[in-house]
Amino acid sequence: MKTFEEKWTAWVDGQLSGRELSEFEASLPDTAAAEAEKAGALKLGELLKRELSARTLTNEEFFSHQLRENIVRESSAPSRVREARSTWWTIPRLLWTGAGSLAVFLVFTVLVMHEKNPAEESQYLTQILNARVDPVVSPDASVSIFEAKQDRVTVLWTEGLQSLPADYAAK
Amino acid sequence: MQTEATLAQADVSELDLVRRCQAGDTEAFDELVTRNRTRVFSMIYNMVHSEQDAWDLAQDSFLKAWKSIERFRGQSSFYTWIYRIVMNVTIDWLRKKHVKGAGAEFDDATLLKEVDPASKTVPKAEALPYETMERGEIRARIDQAIAQLSPEQRAVILMKEVEGMQYHEIAEALGCSIGTVMSRLFYARKKLQNLLRDVYENI
Repeated sequence: MKTFEEKWTAWVDGQLSGRELSEFEASLPDTAAAEAEKAGALKLGELLKRELSARTLTNEEFFSHQLRENIVRESSAPSRVREARSTWWTIPRLLWTGAGSLAVFLVFTVLVMHEKNPAEESQYLTQILNARVDPVVSPDASVSIFEAKQDRVTVLWTEGLQSLPADYAAK
Repeated sequence: MQTEATLAQADVSELDLVRRCQAGDTEAFDELVTRNRTRVFSMIYNMVHSEQDAWDLAQDSFLKAWKSIERFRGQSSFYTWIYRIVMNVTIDWLRKKHVKGAGAEFDDATLLKEVDPASKTVPKAEALPYETMERGEIRARIDQAIAQLSPEQRAVILMKEVEGMQYHEIAEALGCSIGTVMSRLFYARKKLQNLLRDVYENI
């Protein structure tokens, strides 16, 4: 079922015939006004045809030349994309490989260090505390601890103490 | 005037050119471009009203045609086929431009509300004698009036009135039904008649 708009357009363009044409024309409330509208639409068509057909393409040869260049550029673009894509894949792959190698290295280092024979370690663990006891009482005091793991001995070495704080007194 | 024989020859050679294009022959495509470039440019220009934009859009359309030429099956003329590409490219561009410029989209439904289907066209301004109007002024009036249509309405009225295309060809080029083409044509004519009556009545 055609809408009113479709029938009107067909009528203006002379596409209605027979029963469809007579039915449509009979349905028009004001035939004279409709005929005037139709004439106006046809004049509009003539005006558009006359005024808008005149536009021509200047520099036609340059147009084609530019298009040929664009086609050549586009034709080589896929290979560039492929290259870029392969480079894009290589960089992450390299990063992942590097990160993986580093992780393996660290794991092995930790394991080796952990299982290392204590005998091979240095005799003293250099754990030095440069702590001042009381800067007011002993401004130059320092305390050092030396630990010999093999002998299970810890040596507390103090220097510059004016007096031993009450907390430190042997019980 | 072309005879049937020359028309057939032209059709065969066009199809032959398309086949060569599909085999990667850029010279054959160059020939197709030469045959259609002015028509395509003119159509786009009438829709966008800018020579530079029309040039760029025509380039873009032909480039897309080259890239998708393998999909052309020869069921319609090359011109109808490329018109579909031209319309897609141009209508997309017009919509994007409109969205950027005004922050709103073309909407057929909105535009249709502005025109009463049963309305009679009324001159917008007083009648101007054709002699007093310079050709450029007439052209400017037409451009301004067309600019008030939605991209789809522009496409339909230009293809019908300027290109002389049939409803089914327009429908094919726009990827819509013939009924939609006729409906858009109705509203486009009504609107242009409202805006340009004083021009065409005085010619």
